[in-house]
Amino acid sequence: MRCTFCEKEAVLRLRHANLRLCPEHLVARVEKEAKKAVQEFRMFTREEKILVAVSGGKDSLGLWQILTKLGYQADGLYIHLGIEGYSQRSLELCREFARERGLRLEVVRVEDELGAGLDEIARVMHGEPCSHCGTIKRYLMNRSALEGGYAALATGHNLDDEAATLLGNVLQWNLEYLARQYPVLPGRNKLVRKVKPLVYVSEREMAAYCLVSGIRYIYEECPHSAGARSLFLKRVLNELEDEAPSTKISFVKGFLRAHRIFPKAGEAELRDCPICGMPTASSGPCRFCRIRERMKNYAPA
Amino acid sequence: MEESWRWSSGYTLAGMVTLRRRGQVLTVPVEKNLERMLRDVGILPDTVIVVRNGKIVPLDYRPKDGEEFELIDVISGG
Repeated sequence: MRCTFCEKEAVLRLRHANLRLCPEHLVARVEKEAKKAVQEFRMFTREEKILVAVSGGKDSLGLWQILTKLGYQADGLYIHLGIEGYSQRSLELCREFARERGLRLEVVRVEDELGAGLDEIARVMHGEPCSHCGTIKRYLMNRSALEGGYAALATGHNLDDEAATLLGNVLQWNLEYLARQYPVLPGRNKLVRKVKPLVYVSEREMAAYCLVSGIRYIYEECPHSAGARSLFLKRVLNELEDEAPSTKISFVKGFLRAHRIFPKAGEAELRDCPICGMPTASSGPCRFCRIRERMKNYAPA
Repeated sequence: MEESWRWSSGYTLAGMVTLRRRGQVLTVPVEKNLERMLRDVGILPDTVIVVRNGKIVPLDYRPKDGEEFELIDVISGG
């Protein structure tokens, strides 16, 4: 199988883009797609400082590499969730990545913030672990970006993530979430701008990008993600994609073109949390502080 | 002979190949290419990347008897 662009042997066929890519052109394509998204959605400029949330996985470490190569000022943030074994292994990979490239990595530990790691929080709190994890990560990412003076917070959400989120929102006709789902979420008050430069890059491309770029990332899945709805939605989408290549990209691009038809509810009024001072839509303490209070009152058996 | 030839017992003249995926080991008969072999064991080809000695192996590669490959899942999330 020859590369679409040169005489070299291709390592990856992208049916949705009708391309066969050698390692060199695979790297070029992924970086070009990320750059296109950054420019199309005016995510940030080269003069602005960006904080990349890294998990040790292929998407976030790949994103950090891409932004650095494209000449953006990107530092990394790792949130140590306190998931036995998994969090430490992920942290080591992020540290190795940053050390090898001379990049700055900030590490925040959930245990230092909440008195317990996610394993314990998942045992004590009602509801899905992924939901608590999302609350904790969003809070800590925003606070770190705000306190560090970053213009934007970049996450490694890729095309498959966006397609799965979109499918979930459409299946429930959640108009509020549909209106908010976009590659850029502008900053306001103490909320820092959030951006997703990999919105046009598939998961498969990101895994291949890391492999050919020599980026070591964590292959194992978070132990709390087993049975997560997003994984089920991705399986459904992959079945569709297998039958009809480009289903995912058409789904997401079509949605982004039609995005303005989803009525934007008035921005929820934000107040400062009476405990931490960070913005919250709640009339009392923010969700993060409520988790902290709950964990404070919990006495391990 | 381009196509491997299979007895009704599942034995194939073209040999067997080992696929390793997340600690699991699958031994599968050689088929005309990796894509076909993945489909035979119920794996959608675009949900994994096939690797050998740290290098990506394209899905149209025709494996040889006794070769070993690692399958890296590309789906993540939670």
